[in-house]
Amino acid sequence: MSGATSEPLLRVEELTVTFDGPRGDVDVVRELSFALEPGGSLGIVGESGSGKSMTSLAVLGLLPAGARRTGRISLSGRELTALTERQLRRVRGDRVAMVFQDPLSSLNPYYTVGAQIAEAYRAHRQRATRREARRVAVEAMERVHIDDAARRVDHYPHQFSGGMRQRVMIAMALCTEPDLLIADEPTTALDVTVQAQILRLLTEVRAETGAGLVLITHDLAVVSEMTDEVLVMRQGECVERATAERLFSDPRHPYTRALLDAVPRLDDEVGELRSVDEGGAR
Amino acid sequence: MTGGTTAREPAGEPLLRASGLVKEFRVPGRGGPLRRRDVLRAVDDVDLEVRAGETLALVGESGSGKSTTARLAARLLDPTAGTVTWEGADVTRLTGSALHHFRSGVQVVFQDPFSSLNPRHTVERIVTAPLLYQRRPIPGGARAFTRGLMERVGLNPDHSTRHPAQFSGGQAQRIGIARALAVGPRVVVCDEAVSALDVSVQARVINLLRRLQREEGLGYLFIAHDLAVVRQIADRVAVLHHGRVVESGDRDTLFAAPRHEYTRTLLAAVPRIRPEWEAARRARAAERATGAGRETEPTEDTR
Repeated sequence: MSGATSEPLLRVEELTVTFDGPRGDVDVVRELSFALEPGGSLGIVGESGSGKSMTSLAVLGLLPAGARRTGRISLSGRELTALTERQLRRVRGDRVAMVFQDPLSSLNPYYTVGAQIAEAYRAHRQRATRREARRVAVEAMERVHIDDAARRVDHYPHQFSGGMRQRVMIAMALCTEPDLLIADEPTTALDVTVQAQILRLLTEVRAETGAGLVLITHDLAVVSEMTDEVLVMRQGECVERATAERLFSDPRHPYTRALLDAVPRLDDEVGELRSVDEGGAR
Repeated sequence: MTGGTTAREPAGEPLLRASGLVKEFRVPGRGGPLRRRDVLRAVDDVDLEVRAGETLALVGESGSGKSTTARLAARLLDPTAGTVTWEGADVTRLTGSALHHFRSGVQVVFQDPFSSLNPRHTVERIVTAPLLYQRRPIPGGARAFTRGLMERVGLNPDHSTRHPAQFSGGQAQRIGIARALAVGPRVVVCDEAVSALDVSVQARVINLLRRLQREEGLGYLFIAHDLAVVRQIADRVAVLHHGRVVESGDRDTLFAAPRHEYTRTLLAAVPRIRPEWEAARRARAAERATGAGRETEPTEDTR
């Protein structure tokens, strides 16, 4: 709790996301509110269908067709919900950058990674020359520890491993020096050793740039290592929100407790694993 | 009983044994004038044994050869070299109806229940298919047989005429398990069988697998990339890296004192909740369980 008088970096108030389904409207996110101080970190955890990814897409104004959003979202005091698509595009990628689960589907296979990082940069720094954009791309790749960046910048996405592609995505996200990074399951598709490297990298670049982080994941252990605050979602609603220490050492909501009980552990006595709502599978 | 007691005392002869397994795939070459094909050795001299009532886990990262090894052991793929024996008999080169006996003994549960279950078929048709394929009679008739299987895996037997899409992911995986059980196997190969499930659902399916093992003495060859899950279910663990077993041993020893560098790297990479937070949470939970009531109100702790 930094007793800040300034505006929070991100403020979400009573966010509701509604889909029109075949049997009427369905709220996939319901009256969700949270705030993130500049440089702070928030983890949003939940199981599938909890609305965690829809929350991140709603913040970025990237909801799929058929979804409606109500509520207020502001970035450093600037209301985002009132912006036109054109204005919003200027915010996305510049002030707010995102990293998604699957880097292969977020990268264009026909362009070199360098061209794609440079394009992301020039989209927001229109006066930048090609040469400058290329230099930024190489630097960004060096920052995420891609060896031999000056040569790798001319390689295509398929020439990178999954972990290296995710590094490219992070390089791309960071090239405009955003204030806020939204990472949606950034390591879910990766091997555990690669996951550890990417998480370390995220922590490191945040320390360097001071960017805030919203981390969306299903993995409670990942969130416990990465963010200061945690928000637990279930069926579109926040069931509990607290500092990581409070949430993991003293979970109050029965759902949070059950979720923590269900996590398999490396160093745990093997007993009967508890499940979240026994009997629900019948 | 946790099953850990069987770890050091093998329950008789292994049912399923593979030795010297090698699998090579031809892959596009890296160029050169003739574009010769290269050979990728996905599995390189792997031995394994599965006994009744015990679980051998194969762990490794992508490309380690764990799934290929599972497929070789289940005779879904033919090995380049090595042998597979079932109840002491060599089954490596058996094909067609000669394999039926083996298939009745060893069944597979796959990772994604929705892609491994025919969406157009009812549960009844799905779980009776293995018997029909082997031209075996269905004990007690299809309906009663299906209901019995569904009860064993914790599904509502009244849903036997439903289709896979009408079930949740965890329930669909129970159908996959029911189908594997239909022929009365003694060994089940679980190829990332709980990996795609949400944590709460995963816990339930692991509990089901454990209960079936306890009650029916099934042997499991359990393929997983998640070490924490392996810790919950395995008696013995083999760690695969680049197609080779770099370390194997009984679970508690391997987790407590990994000898191979790669095993140590793998264990160190697993994210975990701080032990002091865990201890505090457990202490509070124990207090709640013993202390008479005074349940804390569920709060949202927003500022």
